[in-house]
Amino acid sequence: MPIRSLTSQTDLFKRAAAEASAALSKWLSRPTSITINRVSVLPISEAVSLLGLTETPLVACAMQITGLFSGLLVLTSDDASGLALADMLLAREIGTSTTWGEVERSAAVETANIIGCAYLNAMALDPGNGAGDGKQPLMPSPPWFTRDYAASVMQSILMAQASLSDDIFMTHTDFRVDDMPGACSLLFIPEAEDLG
Amino acid sequence: MGELGVGQTDGLLKTFVGSCVGVTIFNRRRKLAGLAHVMLPESRGQSSQPGKFADTAIPEMLRRLEKFCGGETVRWSAKIAGGAKMFAFQADTTVGDLNVAAIEHILAELDIPILAKCCGGKQGRRIAVDVATGTMTVETIGAEPQRF
Repeated sequence: MPIRSLTSQTDLFKRAAAEASAALSKWLSRPTSITINRVSVLPISEAVSLLGLTETPLVACAMQITGLFSGLLVLTSDDASGLALADMLLAREIGTSTTWGEVERSAAVETANIIGCAYLNAMALDPGNGAGDGKQPLMPSPPWFTRDYAASVMQSILMAQASLSDDIFMTHTDFRVDDMPGACSLLFIPEAEDLG
Repeated sequence: MGELGVGQTDGLLKTFVGSCVGVTIFNRRRKLAGLAHVMLPESRGQSSQPGKFADTAIPEMLRRLEKFCGGETVRWSAKIAGGAKMFAFQADTTVGDLNVAAIEHILAELDIPILAKCCGGKQGRRIAVDVATGTMTVETIGAEPQRF
């Protein structure tokens, strides 16, 4: 449980997003930029369609967070952007990957790991969170890859909060990488009990 | 998510589910059908969104459907789909399992038979219910649509 409620920590989320962007840039050896960086409280229906997709497939690598606070950290993208990311990591021409094979999935999962850990480290090292003593670290689970209807994925990742409230608190950061057709999004959805 | 709708004569009722469960109640002769997107088994006193909970969605759907029936007793049937475990870190017994169990229990108490069930697995589902026939079409990514 954080000392300060998560909903009041907009600056902290911005710093965490900046760290995640820097980590992504280093990981890909390419410039990246943050195009969207929001902290929102949304009705469930708006949260489900936050990424503007419902019927199209969404790729998601989700990590369960425990420790100082609990929740989910999820890296999402559409197929084209996710596969382009895999091509960049594998030093292939963008457009080479057309399906999600084992190598492409592994690339997505590792990217989620890199970005997610940078995001969490920034949050854990914030002195205001009381995490400096190391007694309550933030522990991510290994990222879990899924590709499914965007609405189904979003419902599943919002379920914990939606079960207790008709509104969803979440952070949403979009990263754009040179040559990537779209953006990839990092979503942080804390457990309801950490939203003091 | 947590929504509920009914229709008469024709048209399609649609929703997407992951770990949530879609439950349709219908009567083919009267060309009446409803579809609820159930998120949780029990409302525990919450009533702002009846479609969200199994114990409020089913009675509310029946109430809305029976408005079309002019007081006549109607024999209803049901079909359900959803309750997937989409992420490995979800508990072994997921909220989807609990939703399915709650829906089955409530429908049994109301003596409404479940004519088709497409539940569990790891994939989300797109559900479409034909109001005129009660046919439920379930789609998953990468597979042919199934009709129930």
